[in-house]
Amino acid sequence: MPSLQGIFDAPGPVAEAAKRLRNRGFSDLEIYAPAAFPELDDALDTKPSRVRLFTLIGGLIGVVTGYAMAIWMSIDWPVMIGGKPFASIPTYTVIGFELTILFGGLATLLGLLIVGRLPYGSFGGHDKAYDVRFSAEEFGLVVGCRERDVAEVDALLRAHHAKEVNLVEA
Amino acid sequence: MTPPPALSAVPTPEAAPAPGDSKINRDLLRVMEGASPGYFLLLGATVLVVTAAALTWIYQIYIGLGVAGYTHPVFWGVYIVTFVFWVGIAHAGTLISAILYLFRAKWRNAINRSAEAMTVMAVMTAGMFLGIHVGRIWKAYFILPYPNQRGLWVNFRSPLEWDTFAISTYATISIVFLYIGLIPDLAIARDRFAGWRRLLYTALALGWQGTSRQWKAHTRSVLHLSGLATPLVLSVHSVVSWDFAMSIVPGWHATIFAPYFVAGAIFSGFAMVLTVMIPVRRIFGLEEYITDYHFENMARFILLTSLIVGYAYVTEYFVAWYSGVEAEQTSFWLRAFGPYWFSTWTMIVCNVVFPQLFWFKRLRTHVPTLFVVSTFVNIGMWFERYVIIITGLSREYDPAVWGVYTPTWAELTILAGSFAFFAMLFLLFLKIFPVIAIAEVKELAIHDRAHGAHGAH
Repeated sequence: MPSLQGIFDAPGPVAEAAKRLRNRGFSDLEIYAPAAFPELDDALDTKPSRVRLFTLIGGLIGVVTGYAMAIWMSIDWPVMIGGKPFASIPTYTVIGFELTILFGGLATLLGLLIVGRLPYGSFGGHDKAYDVRFSAEEFGLVVGCRERDVAEVDALLRAHHAKEVNLVEA
Repeated sequence: MTPPPALSAVPTPEAAPAPGDSKINRDLLRVMEGASPGYFLLLGATVLVVTAAALTWIYQIYIGLGVAGYTHPVFWGVYIVTFVFWVGIAHAGTLISAILYLFRAKWRNAINRSAEAMTVMAVMTAGMFLGIHVGRIWKAYFILPYPNQRGLWVNFRSPLEWDTFAISTYATISIVFLYIGLIPDLAIARDRFAGWRRLLYTALALGWQGTSRQWKAHTRSVLHLSGLATPLVLSVHSVVSWDFAMSIVPGWHATIFAPYFVAGAIFSGFAMVLTVMIPVRRIFGLEEYITDYHFENMARFILLTSLIVGYAYVTEYFVAWYSGVEAEQTSFWLRAFGPYWFSTWTMIVCNVVFPQLFWFKRLRTHVPTLFVVSTFVNIGMWFERYVIIITGLSREYDPAVWGVYTPTWAELTILAGSFAFFAMLFLLFLKIFPVIAIAEVKELAIHDRAHGAHGAH
């Protein structure tokens, strides 16, 4: 199946071209960008990122772990201090809070790896359509399409100010 | 006879840029390439001082904590002072990365990477001081709640235990934050270097290609980490302040300590970023990326936090007087006019008086002034911790047990070693990782180009 790679200078036209292609029923799309741009965030996938779930679950596990650990440990070896309760919730809040952040942060990293599918590909390898220009200042919109749609996609990419269009996979 | 000019002296016409060429990449990756003799000289000097400090530490472990100037009643000395100082320095990175990110302050882009790196290095430096201070370093793991034969657990009511959790969480989260930010830049470096660097960056970049899926997950992660790190950065120095405030030592037992310490930490952190980045910008010619505008904003932060810190100083004295507690009043009187008057006045002059120069735009944008004032702030903030800890302990309730503590050569060597250690790590970082967040700089540049914006930022 052929793949067309359009090279762009700005994120706006990439987003528009991607939207047009999706409306026309092309679903095998990939965007390469040198930096994060809000325009491109929802260009291919309009659903909110699932990273949020990781952070939430990690944070919740953290807060429960923090309190539970401190409470269980102080009951496991009870130290009598002036008849005060073994579990001193106000002071254990520090532990609960810190572990919320710690677990939440590590879960966010895990979320980035899983949702962003990292590590990606083979060591030192990259997608056929990847170009070193995409880690410079240019953008790529790669469209997988049937043979007979090549001309249409090519025209559409150029109409959206693609400065060049290459056939990367025959 | 003068020889004819060499052919190479004739300027050649500019070659057409190769594909994948980008001025931003070239300018910012150039910092990592090669190294001048001056760099090696500086690195060598830091390694020398670190070695001296390490040998001193080994000597201290061998002989015992007696080589430190600890004397009744002062058993928290320069090591704890320096620990608190470095934890404070570590606060600018997360503040710049997380809080300014949430506030969408675009000017952070020029300095966030170096500040994040300094955070990690400062926490590492600070962490060592806990080990140096406790003396029996081989028992340091007792502070962790691990299952053991004695069935004994740590005391979660102790601020020192909170500290363990706060500092280790802070260290972990700052490393994660730094690394996540680095991934796209490592991919840029991977595409442009050869040899061992290519291998290293290929491994660390995790196959990053900048696909929309990757960027979307990345943006989200940075947002969430910022949301987590913002309360974290405020909590860490609060917890450190509770090491003091939860005790009953006069001059320590104050509810103002947490906000006072956090403001001081941000104050000193920004000062350290300025002190380090002014020479870095000059040496590597990064004026185009780190502009006077960035430095001016940092100066404003320093002015703001200096006012907060100054206000806290005044409040401390007011509360001591208003409390009517004699021990408290005496402690503060002796702080200013007792044996440690020099430290106290150094602290006040460096932290409150000098930063007032930043009310004037001309001085905020005058780089030598910025450098001198930020250096004084660093000195002043070290003395602030010295004043709080040493004057507090040396003048407790009973005059019969008052004493005077003087740092010994061992403590001062290790103190010098901490600065050298920090500098050494930063020098190594400069050559291994991009010191400015390349992708974020591009984000602004491409955005401005696409929208024809001509504003500075």
